[in-house]
Amino acid sequence: MPEYFDLNVHAYPETAAPVEELLRVAKRYGYAGIAITNHDEAVVPEPLESNTVFTGVEIHAQSVVELKRKIKRYWGNVALVAVHGGDDKINRAAVENPKVDILAHPCGEKGESGLNHVLVRYAADNGVAIDFNMNALIRSRRGDRARVIGKMRDNLKLVRKYNAPMILTSHAHSIYDLRAPRELIALATLFGMTKEEATSALCDTPQGILEKRWKKERDVEVL
Amino acid sequence: MTADIGIIMSVLLYLLPSLRERRRYLLFELMGEREIDKRELMKEIWNSIYSLYGDVGASESKLWLIKYHRLEDRKEEESTLIVGVLRCAHNKVEEVRASLACIHTVNDARVGIRVIRTSGSIKGASRRR
Repeated sequence: MPEYFDLNVHAYPETAAPVEELLRVAKRYGYAGIAITNHDEAVVPEPLESNTVFTGVEIHAQSVVELKRKIKRYWGNVALVAVHGGDDKINRAAVENPKVDILAHPCGEKGESGLNHVLVRYAADNGVAIDFNMNALIRSRRGDRARVIGKMRDNLKLVRKYNAPMILTSHAHSIYDLRAPRELIALATLFGMTKEEATSALCDTPQGILEKRWKKERDVEVL
Repeated sequence: MTADIGIIMSVLLYLLPSLRERRRYLLFELMGEREIDKRELMKEIWNSIYSLYGDVGASESKLWLIKYHRLEDRKEEESTLIVGVLRCAHNKVEEVRASLACIHTVNDARVGIRVIRTSGSIKGASRRR
């Protein structure tokens, strides 16, 4: 039985959903664990460290300087540092920084921008995982969804070429937004991901991110 | 005489086993903010599958709702839990699964659907384990 992880869930106080509730539903759906990655304006007050819940942060920054400052503040204090992507400059600054674990929704929440080969190569070198946000695919319809799927297909091609880590996440804001692993895998096949890739994006890669497997040793020992 | 014709017709109309469509039965679970009516759910499922695969894809899926009922004995909180069995063509399970995953609201009530298991028979799908 593979161990599935959902590394982007937003809980109270950012949303109305309590952590325990989300964890209960996630366990029922077959997840081994979830990571609570609230945006940095509303981080979970007390750090939750266990084998099933991980505290993370999704850094929302307007400028590169702000991003760097916030990464410095959170790195080492939380298990997972994700960056709220979408803007080209922010994407670039995130993948260049080995302290970042995840670049969340790099093509924006509606597929308005994208990755390129330079960014993905940096991501592979620095061990920054590229996130495929399934919530964008679930929530959008018609033209929006066609654009999102198209962007994800392009991203997948680049990720395969440079062998960067990739993950599938739900970006759940409530218990109703969570999806079971098999459902996420079925959604991932829509933009051309194979079942094996999707399974490893839900099991193996998230575990590697939590263990900091792709990070160079000097980065790990500080934690 | 009329009875004989009835028997003959029923034999003729009986589809040969080799011509019968192969099906899969999906046991699914729906978690919703409020209780969802069977009809609104099916409308939403069809909308989702049309939007994802188009009319041709939807026609190939051969969807049909077989069973649908609310789980009563829940001591936990406010969300309602509904289980049902959905029939589809045997080679369209993943497509139906993706369309079910794309449903996020039914008439403004937030919902989440998951497929618990698939089986080749209704009995197999609805069996308690």
